[in-house]
Amino acid sequence: MRTIVIGAGLAGLVAANRLAAGGAQVTLLSKGIGGLQLGQGTIDVLGYTPERVTNPIRSVQALTGTHPYARIGAERVLAGLAYLKELLPDLLVGDPEANYQLPTAVGAIRPTCLAQPSMVAGNLSSGERVVIVGLRQLKDFHPQLVAANLVRTDLPGGGRAKVRHVLVDFPVREEVDSSALTYARALDDAATRERFARAVIAHLETDEIVGLPAVLGVRDPQAWRHVAEKLGHPVFEIPLPPPSVPGIRLNEALTAKAKAAGVRFVQGTRTVSFRASGGKVDAVTIAVEPAGREFTADAFVLAAGGFESGALDMDSHGTVRETLFGLPLEGADAVPLLHGDYWGGEQPLFNVGVAVGKDLKPLDASGAPVYANLWAAGGIIAGSAGWAEKSGDGIAVASAIGAADSILKELA
Amino acid sequence: MTEVNDRPATHDRTGLGFAGHELSRASLDACVKCTICETMCPVSAVTPLFTGPKFVGPQAERFRNGESVDHSLDYCSSCGTCTLVCPQGVQIAELNSQARAVMKADHMPLRDRLIGQTTLMGKVMTPVAPLARWALGNKAIRTVMEATVKVHRDAPMPPAQSQSFESWFAKRPKPTKVPTRGALVFFHGCAGGYFEVETSKKTVEVLEHLGYEVLVPRQGCCGLAQQSNGLFDGATASVLKLCDDLRSSGKDLTIISSSGSCTGMLKHEAHEIMGVSDERLKDVGTRIRDTMEFLLDLYDAGELPTDFLPMPMTVPYHAPCQLKSQGIGKPALEVLRLIPELTVVDSEKVCCGIAGTYGLKKEKYDIAQAVGRPLFDMVKATNPELALCDTETCRWQIEQSSGVKTVHPIWMVHAAYGLG
Repeated sequence: MRTIVIGAGLAGLVAANRLAAGGAQVTLLSKGIGGLQLGQGTIDVLGYTPERVTNPIRSVQALTGTHPYARIGAERVLAGLAYLKELLPDLLVGDPEANYQLPTAVGAIRPTCLAQPSMVAGNLSSGERVVIVGLRQLKDFHPQLVAANLVRTDLPGGGRAKVRHVLVDFPVREEVDSSALTYARALDDAATRERFARAVIAHLETDEIVGLPAVLGVRDPQAWRHVAEKLGHPVFEIPLPPPSVPGIRLNEALTAKAKAAGVRFVQGTRTVSFRASGGKVDAVTIAVEPAGREFTADAFVLAAGGFESGALDMDSHGTVRETLFGLPLEGADAVPLLHGDYWGGEQPLFNVGVAVGKDLKPLDASGAPVYANLWAAGGIIAGSAGWAEKSGDGIAVASAIGAADSILKELA
Repeated sequence: MTEVNDRPATHDRTGLGFAGHELSRASLDACVKCTICETMCPVSAVTPLFTGPKFVGPQAERFRNGESVDHSLDYCSSCGTCTLVCPQGVQIAELNSQARAVMKADHMPLRDRLIGQTTLMGKVMTPVAPLARWALGNKAIRTVMEATVKVHRDAPMPPAQSQSFESWFAKRPKPTKVPTRGALVFFHGCAGGYFEVETSKKTVEVLEHLGYEVLVPRQGCCGLAQQSNGLFDGATASVLKLCDDLRSSGKDLTIISSSGSCTGMLKHEAHEIMGVSDERLKDVGTRIRDTMEFLLDLYDAGELPTDFLPMPMTVPYHAPCQLKSQGIGKPALEVLRLIPELTVVDSEKVCCGIAGTYGLKKEKYDIAQAVGRPLFDMVKATNPELALCDTETCRWQIEQSSGVKTVHPIWMVHAAYGLG
């Protein structure tokens, strides 16, 4: 069975892995290397409804109507989380029944369901003592900002933490402002970690939990444990703005698993057109110079994202379209699509997407599949603004699992 | 050769005029400053001298009107990784290649003019191969070369051969097998014509074994080495002359090449970097296939015989940047998987460092070595005797720096078909 997955984000990579594991021949087409490394390297399932969510799976079960989770089903969310934890045991931990509440790079608290083991000591309780350690030559991480905000934040479980900050000199190459990735590459080396621990340990006080920028190794998944052991304190990583090292870890790990499972990657060119006959998609074409290149398959998964990647597009007349297959869109005729109240309610535009059935096939206005062998996963699905409610990762994973399982069952 | 030291004129839509004003600016505004290109850049990973593709590319481009104010641009190796990984379709590498051509236009180093002359090198070296091999292996001569033309004394040099591919093809006994699948045109490139002659021979023998008639028209250089050194006028003349050469064998035939870099030049670089907009180029670019891409297409269509002999060994494979940027994935990996008992390990490394002629240059040599080091280590650890890679200069770099013999993947296919 030949399948094509379009998109290299979380949905695309999970679908490709799941299909390959199920015995399908998979080709993954992507314009770039996906956007996973722009994220925090965690799996948000549901963070706000708009109240802060403590038990994500229970809140998912309570959703109804046109919300993606109501279409996909909470059982797919559970299956997806279990699948990811089993696929990447070194990288993702967590409980669908309990969100972690983790400090961000501005010292706020962010709910997420699965996190990297290097982060979870940041799930703070009232009265705990924390020191945020910054590195003077690292750009984009400001320990004073983190500490000053965190110390005045009411923890979700009640109470506050006692937080202070320090700034440590620790250059890793001859420049004044190294990126997080430059640090992470340097800290993949055990000798550099020893030197790092020596630079930090002098600043620590008894019983403190140590908050560090998320730069503790990029290739070595045990690097952070080594640092914690050397310091003799619990440590937690705080993800930075891009380049996000935890995001890179997650992207590389899922990509490596897919390659090991035999997924063929064709990268660097956008998928721009398709050919269909008899209600089925026969082929898609990538815009490679000079004349394009066609790929045929038995099943296609559209996992190309939404507006951020150009999979959805709105022209100057306010007309929204899905740019590859021209699929019917739900919510595209809302009036207005965008309102001018910047601080007001959610913009209707961001709920626009394709409607899918339980089997994750895009549906037309009558509720019938648009093409018999086309599935959709991730941000293209209508009915939610993932960044506002922190549901994008969970929707991507659950819909990818749903689409892959549906393909494997239908084409077996 | 046309001189290239004129300032670009705004009405000039090709060459330097195009470079200074046209192409990549169209993709510039799509940059969302996400940093993905910066994280994948093999050069900025090993040296702070190159400030990274985003900074030098879409950001600095906004400040350019003619020559760049920031010369760290010259440390870009033009490997093309940034364009390949960009999720927004920004032509970062193309932007940088164009800006560098403009920057160097009125002070082009002699060295950069010379190392673009790949056909000339082959023509000079082949008749005197033993002498050329001796000279390029001679420390004293290389030291003088480093001091005068600034080519690093330890940089890999093409292996001079005693017989050119053209001469072999003309003089060999004619194939006895009657073609059953029609004709193909073979494009050997300068390296495949003069230095990597064995790769060209094996490619032709595999194609003939599959039942094709192989036509080899007289052919010149694609101009890639000139292009990557910013000599756009000369490169444009070369690539169009080559298109005429390749079209002389027939208008509808598929063109096959085992020179991955030259294939990339014909498919997209001449158009995207230099703005060459010519029907002949488009025609050739549409018909040309990398050898391994062609074999994979045959396999996908159910037309590739898979009666391969078992090859019980493990070999490292490195996909060159210029192959990856053709949007064909890594076809060699898929084809070699069909050979029984052969395990091919993908290096998964971004770049070998050489980037055409970048790693030859005295001032870039150490950077290129640092870029390639993880690859050299991987190659040595996987198989100290044999490695695979699709393009010539990358093979020379890997072989020189790791000490591991490095050949084109077609060598494995050739052996597995029992062709010697």
